[in-house]
Amino acid sequence: MQMSADSLSQTFAALADPTRRAILARLCAGEATVSDLAEPFDMSLPAVSKHLKVLERAGLVSRGREAQWRPCRLDAAPLKDAAGWLERYRQFWEQSLDRLQDYLDELQMKDAKEGDDDGRKS
Amino acid sequence: MAASPDAAPRPDGPSGAKPEDLVLVITRTLAAPRALVFKVWSQPEHLVRWWGPQGFTLPSCTMAFHPGGAFRCLMLSPEGTEHRMHGVYREIVPPEKISFTWTWVDEQGDPGPETLVTVTLEEAGTDGAHTKLTLHHAVFESVTARDAHGVGWSESFDRLAVYVANL
Repeated sequence: MQMSADSLSQTFAALADPTRRAILARLCAGEATVSDLAEPFDMSLPAVSKHLKVLERAGLVSRGREAQWRPCRLDAAPLKDAAGWLERYRQFWEQSLDRLQDYLDELQMKDAKEGDDDGRKS
Repeated sequence: MAASPDAAPRPDGPSGAKPEDLVLVITRTLAAPRALVFKVWSQPEHLVRWWGPQGFTLPSCTMAFHPGGAFRCLMLSPEGTEHRMHGVYREIVPPEKISFTWTWVDEQGDPGPETLVTVTLEEAGTDGAHTKLTLHHAVFESVTARDAHGVGWSESFDRLAVYVANL
């Protein structure tokens, strides 16, 4: 149930920005250079590099070692962890809502019983 | 931003993945009047009776049920593991809407990612005895991020959703 791992925090923080989500979405289609990534955004290369650094730190993007263009590629493992995290929340709520209905039934049965008693009194 | 060259499906488009794939949306029709459902979300003595998965308990729960008010709960797993959760109520509209932030706090007291939960309650049917509950849990979009950008989900998220679904 523990859901507060640091790596997840980093993943979610990295995903909180629309430009970074768009960069990841582009990388789903395959490797790209920094200038490829900058193109659709009307952004400077340094600005894109800054976003890439955040994504790299979160382990979502890795970069090739080839000195000149160092292609960026998606590392999907943290995304998979994030999806698993979401699934645990789903289970948390589904089971809570099952218990909620049971509790509501219990409360209403009690109310109905007290209602009957009141009815007899008046 | 995010003008994808090969147009990804739009979030509200008729086909393709929806942002909901990466945000939790759970809908339930409950057999109880709306005022009662609202009440059991809004008072700690009721909340502790049902909040948490099967077998979990809430030995302590304090809540200041008003916008800006905080809640702090200790949850115990069936094995006795402690889980602490904190949050702040953002919006409360009786008897139809409650929204709050929610964070798990680790043993060192450090908070995890902040998430935003929104619960809406609608009357279901005309007998006054059923309530449609919709729970929206935005995990990726922290409150600060949402406020900073003033936008919801971008279409690029659709493609990520599809990608993650296929992992």
